Amino acid sequence: MKILLIEDEQALSSSILTYLHHEGYNCEAAASYREARLKASDYTYACVIVDLTLPDGNGLEIVRLLKENNPETGIIIISAKNALDDKVTGLDLGADDYMTKPFHLSELNARLRSLIRRRNFNGQKTIRAGKLEVFPEQAAVQVEETTLTLTKKEYDLLLFFISNQKRVLTKDSIAEHLWGDHVEGLDSLDFVYTHIKNLRRKIVEAGGEDYIQTVYGLGYKFSCS
Amino acid sequence: MRILTKTSLYYLLVSLLVFLIGGVSFYKIMQIEIYDEVDDQLYTDQVNILGYIRQHNKLPSVTSGISEAIIVREADEVHKGIEELSDTLIFSTYDDEFVPFRRLTFTAYQNGKPYEYTILKSLIDFSDLFESTMLAMGWIFLLLLVGMGVVNYAINKYSWRPFYDTLTKVKSYGLSQHKPLHLNSSSTTEFQELNQVLQAMTAKIHHDYLNLKEFTENASHEIQTPLAILNSKIELFMQSENLTQQQAKLLEEMYSSVSRLSRLNKSLILLTRIENREYKVQEPIPLHLVIQEQLEQLQEMASMHQLIVLPPQLEPTFILMNQGLAEMLVSNLLTNAIRHNHEGGTIQVSLSPQELCVENTGEALEVAPELLFARFMSVKDSSGSLGIGLALVKKVCEIYAMTPSYAYANGKHSLCIRFQQKAALA
Repeated sequence: MKILLIEDEQALSSSILTYLHHEGYNCEAAASYREARLKASDYTYACVIVDLTLPDGNGLEIVRLLKENNPETGIIIISAKNALDDKVTGLDLGADDYMTKPFHLSELNARLRSLIRRRNFNGQKTIRAGKLEVFPEQAAVQVEETTLTLTKKEYDLLLFFISNQKRVLTKDSIAEHLWGDHVEGLDSLDFVYTHIKNLRRKIVEAGGEDYIQTVYGLGYKFSCS
Repeated sequence: MRILTKTSLYYLLVSLLVFLIGGVSFYKIMQIEIYDEVDDQLYTDQVNILGYIRQHNKLPSVTSGISEAIIVREADEVHKGIEELSDTLIFSTYDDEFVPFRRLTFTAYQNGKPYEYTILKSLIDFSDLFESTMLAMGWIFLLLLVGMGVVNYAINKYSWRPFYDTLTKVKSYGLSQHKPLHLNSSSTTEFQELNQVLQAMTAKIHHDYLNLKEFTENASHEIQTPLAILNSKIELFMQSENLTQQQAKLLEEMYSSVSRLSRLNKSLILLTRIENREYKVQEPIPLHLVIQEQLEQLQEMASMHQLIVLPPQLEPTFILMNQGLAEMLVSNLLTNAIRHNHEGGTIQVSLSPQELCVENTGEALEVAPELLFARFMSVKDSSGSLGIGLALVKKVCEIYAMTPSYAYANGKHSLCIRFQQKAALA
């Protein structure tokens, strides 16, 4: 799975690359508009992550270019400008997602996975993790033929975990993933705990294993091995 | 009090004083003059009578001369040789009142026999004169008042006009309007000077304001990238194996502070952008639908706080504004209602084309209600709150000419937003 990351900030770019490498992506980086243009026209990528503010050009141009030449490519915009207009323009041009800096790497990863899933690049209709099988099209989850009854939030939470397997997820990033802009000040961190507790209980009751571990002081981790 | 009213009052006070003193002095002078005249007449009669007696050696048979009455009677020994002037009142049966008279009493001798003469002159003319003088003065005073009114009106209309013009413009001037203060020039030196000073001052303030704003904007924007780097590095760090519990704890604290800082920064940028009116795209927003959507999104939050969301009373209302800002406005109001509530409390939303009200149970405010919409105003127990939500609400209200208000009664907070009449299209 080839991913192109267009980001001029070296330090941020290397963080993203490291995270995505661990996730098993084949990830390349471009640090300028020129470089990005060359790479985007020479190769085909499953997904491109593009920063809008580049020193020598506008990332929106690349979005436009990609949509013309490779409409299959998934595009995620990352921008320091929380500009609604930019977001609208970007999405209008055909970008699939828009994230504002700073963001959680786990969130970027989850969105990338979701995008790839939607584009169905690997031809799979379901996602397997241990005894769990997720059917994204129906938003349903099964544990060895037993269907789990999950709330919308619990489903989102499970998918977030499965997208970031063997990764420590902080309560902050989970809360932001689940509640977005509403996260601020709603004691959401306590609710994260409640949701995780319920999710664990439901999986175990249906015959699954307890895949979610508490990582002391940091957050939670999902692993099936 | 307007300056013209004030000067007029002073003017009136001084005129009143002048008229009072003037009137009294005038009265005194008139009195002296008239007494002088009347006394002259009385003495003339006396001289005539004495001359007649000396010439003809008999008493004249006149009962009146220049004066009104001359009375003669034989004097008794005691009163002989007197000559005195005095004021007296005589009852007039015709007028049925006492009439003031001036009286000269003297003794004349005829063949060595004393006769007492009393010459009387009425002072009624004098009081008539006094009355008409006072009347005239009253009229003059009245005319003066009318004149003053006319002059003031003219001054107000023409001379002070530039001043009031300036005042109106300064009143409606706001720094965030991004328009320089433009004042009409005036032919009055003082006003011209005032205008120049005001223009120079506002230009300077505006310049400083822009500088400061630019700095804040740049600072906020430039902070985003380092924050993103910091955030990602900590996140990577967290993934490393073999972290001790203590290290993990430290990392978590760093991470959550960075997250908080990012959220704060995002909110501040948003605030600045609203202030700069960067959200230009406007369309009629179905506010009732926006509220319904936000309520659905927050339903879970509310139920986790064991809050009861009462069925909202929503009249279809369309408001011309930016979609994103409308959502943010509603979401912040609702979040606020959830946050400052107690378990088992209620939330009631009502919307009419005139106003949007969010009512929720909760403890009374510890801060002054007018500070409620200020930045970083948060109650101490609501940790995690940035205290910027209502500041954003206020800012949105400002640019769309809506009026936010707050009231607390019967254990319920109610935050209302009144729409400008013309903004409500429904």
